[in-house]
Amino acid sequence: MGKVFDWIDSRFGIKAPHKRFLQRPLPERINYLYCLGGVSFVLFLCLLVSGALLSIYYVPSQDEAFQSVVRITREVRLGWFIRGIHKWSANLLIVFILLHTLRVILHRAYRPPRELNWIVGVCTLVVAFASGFTGYLLPWDQKAYWATEVGTSMAGTIPYVGRYILYLLRGGPDITGSTLVRFYSLHIIWLPLTMGALLWAHFHMVKRQGISGGL
Amino acid sequence: MNRRDFLSTAIKAFFTLLGIITGVIALLFSYPSRIRRPVIEYFPVMDEDEMPRRGVRTVTFRYTIQKKVLTSRAFVVNHKGSVYVLSPVCTHLGCLVNWHRKKNQFLCPCHGGKYDIEGRVVDGPPPKPLTRLPFRISDGKLHIGMKV
Repeated sequence: MGKVFDWIDSRFGIKAPHKRFLQRPLPERINYLYCLGGVSFVLFLCLLVSGALLSIYYVPSQDEAFQSVVRITREVRLGWFIRGIHKWSANLLIVFILLHTLRVILHRAYRPPRELNWIVGVCTLVVAFASGFTGYLLPWDQKAYWATEVGTSMAGTIPYVGRYILYLLRGGPDITGSTLVRFYSLHIIWLPLTMGALLWAHFHMVKRQGISGGL
Repeated sequence: MNRRDFLSTAIKAFFTLLGIITGVIALLFSYPSRIRRPVIEYFPVMDEDEMPRRGVRTVTFRYTIQKKVLTSRAFVVNHKGSVYVLSPVCTHLGCLVNWHRKKNQFLCPCHGGKYDIEGRVVDGPPPKPLTRLPFRISDGKLHIGMKV
């Protein structure tokens, strides 16, 4: 295994710079609170893997979406488990991102030169919320339908432009099959890609700027 | 073994194990949990006295698979006293062959496959003779077996 990896790395050259980063000495005051961001990232990876698996069986159509979710839970081998992983990782992701944010606030780690990283971090939080909101519609049951009805109606209350934002979100005046496909596309393509780019920027800046001095 | 090496090995082992478990779970999950093998079901296609005394008769019939109504064709053949049913699906690439009475052959319009009255390949690209469909005669009707 090691030899195969070395053969690849002699051409790829990715080991040395990462070794320098991953094995750098950390300040002594580091404690477990500094793991919250890492925990969030691991949860994000769990979501990617379980979501990719769920997409094998999920059917994004207004006639079949609900039935396909029932089939995943009841008939597909370990389907209940994969769906459970996806659900609980999603819930915990929000919790851990918020705890991570709280840690950054308390340590005042948002101050220069880390303002941009704070902004990128807030963007990841927004993307995580958006993923949660779009993913909530996908089971296509009563709860999903009404949550989306309420959530998108809020956008409709914005003065002047609200109505057009509402149509953009729903793909029409009402929540229909086209809303479902829209949310599905956002949930499995656009938001994860955006999240990937944001996380790359986030980690890149952590690497460049180092861990903040804290209080 | 010092502490650093032990931890390094332990971490590597942990992640290898995690990767293997995830892979196994992903494989179990994606493999279909129910594989329905096709069973042969018999559908009535014509009356017994409509069957040919000699030669080939083309029959078009309807049958249902999982509540879907499908139309299909078959050749009912009476040749030298033996009766059999041939599928019209060419064994080359799946076009439907036609019976040509003057030439006494089944001809495929796509790539020129030719079969004799018993379904054996005479000329052209088909690799196998025409498929013989299972059939039976009951209640005065000819029934043809289809995979459903």
